[in-house]
Amino acid sequence: MFKAIVSADTLKTTLDSVSVLVDECKIHLEEDGLEIRAVDPANVGMVDLSLSADAFESYEADGGLIGVNLSRLEDIAGMADAGQLVSLELDEETRKLHIQIDGLEYTLTLIDPDSIRQEPDIPDLDLAAEVVVEGKDINRAVKAADMVSDHIALGVDGSNETFYIDAEGDADDVHLELDRDDLIDLSAADAHSLFSLDYLKDMDKAIPKDAEVTMELGEEFPVKMHFDIAEGMGHVTFMLAPRIQSN
Amino acid sequence: MRLDDYIDGLEPDEDARRRRLAKEKSYEVTEYLEDFERAFEESVQGGDLFGSTSPSVFVGRSGYPDVSTGLLSPVAGDVDPESLVTDASWYGAVGIDDVVQRRSSLLNSNRRADVRDAGSLSGSESVHDAWNGFLGTQREVAIAGDPVDVEIGLDGTPELDLSGGEISAPRGPRARANRAELAENPYVPRPVKKTLEDDDWQAEGAMTYLYRRGFDVYEINNILSAGALGRGENRRLVPTRWSITAVDDTVGQFLRGQLRGTQSIDQVEVHENEFMGNRYWVVLAPGKWEFELVEMKAPGSIWNQGQGEVWMGAASEGFEGRSGYVDETAGAYYASRLGVLEHLAERGRQAKCLVLREVSDDYWAPVGVWQVRESVRNAFDDEPGEAEDFATAVRAIEPHLPVSTNRLRRKSSMVSGLQSSLADWT
Repeated sequence: MFKAIVSADTLKTTLDSVSVLVDECKIHLEEDGLEIRAVDPANVGMVDLSLSADAFESYEADGGLIGVNLSRLEDIAGMADAGQLVSLELDEETRKLHIQIDGLEYTLTLIDPDSIRQEPDIPDLDLAAEVVVEGKDINRAVKAADMVSDHIALGVDGSNETFYIDAEGDADDVHLELDRDDLIDLSAADAHSLFSLDYLKDMDKAIPKDAEVTMELGEEFPVKMHFDIAEGMGHVTFMLAPRIQSN
Repeated sequence: MRLDDYIDGLEPDEDARRRRLAKEKSYEVTEYLEDFERAFEESVQGGDLFGSTSPSVFVGRSGYPDVSTGLLSPVAGDVDPESLVTDASWYGAVGIDDVVQRRSSLLNSNRRADVRDAGSLSGSESVHDAWNGFLGTQREVAIAGDPVDVEIGLDGTPELDLSGGEISAPRGPRARANRAELAENPYVPRPVKKTLEDDDWQAEGAMTYLYRRGFDVYEINNILSAGALGRGENRRLVPTRWSITAVDDTVGQFLRGQLRGTQSIDQVEVHENEFMGNRYWVVLAPGKWEFELVEMKAPGSIWNQGQGEVWMGAASEGFEGRSGYVDETAGAYYASRLGVLEHLAERGRQAKCLVLREVSDDYWAPVGVWQVRESVRNAFDDEPGEAEDFATAVRAIEPHLPVSTNRLRRKSSMVSGLQSSLADWT
C-alpha cells in the first residue's frame, strides 16, 4: 500500500538527485518515508537518498518496493507548477502508479524491480578530511575546471587548513582555494583525489546552490558528499570513485 | 614478456630504417601519371569509357547535401580492379607511394546529386528507389560482391589534380559522367540483399548484421555510402569520409556492448606496432572499459606542416561511451577503437585501453584512416610486454615518445588517472 501527497518541488528535487546517475531505480516505500539507493552502470557514482514521511503533505506506506523509469516520472512531475501538489497512489494489482496533478491524471506503468540493476553495497570509507561548503562553491569550481580539463583534483591541505580544487588542462590551469573563513566547517587532514568531471558535473546539477554540503575526502579515495533536501526532511549522499594516479 | 625486454626488442636498425624511408619517398607517382594519361586516351572512345570494371564508389562531402557521387574504375585494362580497393589486405603490403599510386589509378567518373534524390536521371524518387540511371548503377557496384563491368559516358577529359591544396587522402583523376550502365549482372551476397530488401531496418542494425555475417567495415562502408542501408525514407547517399566513421563507430558500439558484462583482463599489456611512418603503443590495463586515443604529430608530418612543436590531440570515453564528436582526433579515434574492441571481443574480456599514436615526419601523404585501423588491428599479433601496473607501463614508454611526460599527462585523461570503481572499496 502506498498513497502520498507531496509538493512538486520536493518530488522534483528528489528525482533529480537520482536521475543524474541512473535511468531507472528501485524505490523503497517504508513506513517512515522513501529510500532510494542506486549506482551507475560503471559502478563509479552512487546515490543514497532518504525522504522522510514528514516531507510529504500526507504519507501512507507499508514497506513495498517499486521500480520506476525516472525520466518518465520526471516528465510527469515537470507538468506541475512549483507550488502545486502531486498525489501518488500505487495500484497493487495492476502494478501501476496513479499520479494526479490538479485534475491531470497519469497512470505510470512500473518496472519489475528485479529487472533493475542490483542496489550497491555502500563502501565502508574512513575519510580523514571533512569540509562543509556551500553548493554554489562546488558549482563554481566544477564550472571553472570544466573549461580546462575533463578531470578535477579535490584536496585538503592539513597544515594550511585549506580546501582546494585543481584542474590541469593541456594549456591552462584552474586553482581554487578556500580557507577556514570561506568554509562553513573544516576538519583538516591531508587529502587529495582526482575525479572525473563528467560525473561531478552531473552530481553538481543535483546539489542545490544554497545547500550546505559536507564533503569527506581521503588520499586517492572516493569522495562522499552529503546534503539535505526538502527543508531538512530529506537527505542525499553521493559517492564518487576517484581516478587513480599511482598505479 | 617483461616490458623492458619487449621494448628493447623493438629498437629498429636506424640506418636500415632511413634507407627504407628514402626509398618509400621516391616520387614514382609523377611518372605513373604519364602512363595513366596514355592509358586513358586508349580506353576512351567518343567520350565513352568501355571495358571498365568498377570495384568501388566514392561520395564527396563538399556542398552537402548536393554532393559529387562517382564510380571508381581503373583506366588501364591490365590491373586487377580488386587490388585497387582499400581493405585490410593492404596492411603490411603497401607503402605510402603504393597507396598514392593505387588511388591515382582509379578514375572517379562522377556527377552531382542531392543525397536524398536520384536527380534528373531517374525523376524525383528518393535514393532508396533509385535502381535506374547513374545512381542505380553506382548502387549496384557498391553492393556487388565483386567488381562490376560498367560503361560510362563522360563529358570531356579527366582532371588530374594530385597537387591538392587541401589536405586529403590522395585522390585519383576525376571526370564528369553523364551516364553509367551495367555491362553485366552483378553478384550480390545474400546478407547484403537481405539488408537492402528490408527497408524497415535501421542503418545501425543493418551495419551490425553485415559485420556479424563476416563483412569487413570496408565493404559495409561502400554499401552505406551508396545509400543502400537504413529505413526506406531515411536512405541517403553518405559522403565516403563520414560513412567510414559511421561504420567504425557503429560496429565499435556493438562490440563494446558485447563486452559490457565480461571479465577484465588480468594484467597490464603493452603492444607496439609501426606502419607507414606511424607508431602505435596500445596499453591495456585491467578494469572496466575506458578508452583514449592520444595523437602526437611531428612537425613536418602531413597534418602538422609547420615548424615547431609536436601537435597533440586526444579524445576519450568512459564505460558508457561518449556523446560528443571527437574534434581533435576525428576518424582515427573510431578506427583505433574498433581495432582494440575487435581484439578484446576475440578474447571475451574487457579492459582499459590507451592508444598512443606518434606520426613521424616520414608520413608525407595522408593515406586514409584505414592505416590507423589496420595498424591497431595488427598490433596484437605478437606476445605483449607485461607491466606491473598502468603507471609503470606508461613510464617505460615515455622515453620513446616525442613529448615530455608532463605534456602527456596534461593531455591524456588516462595518464592523469584511471577511473576506479566503488567496488574497490567494498
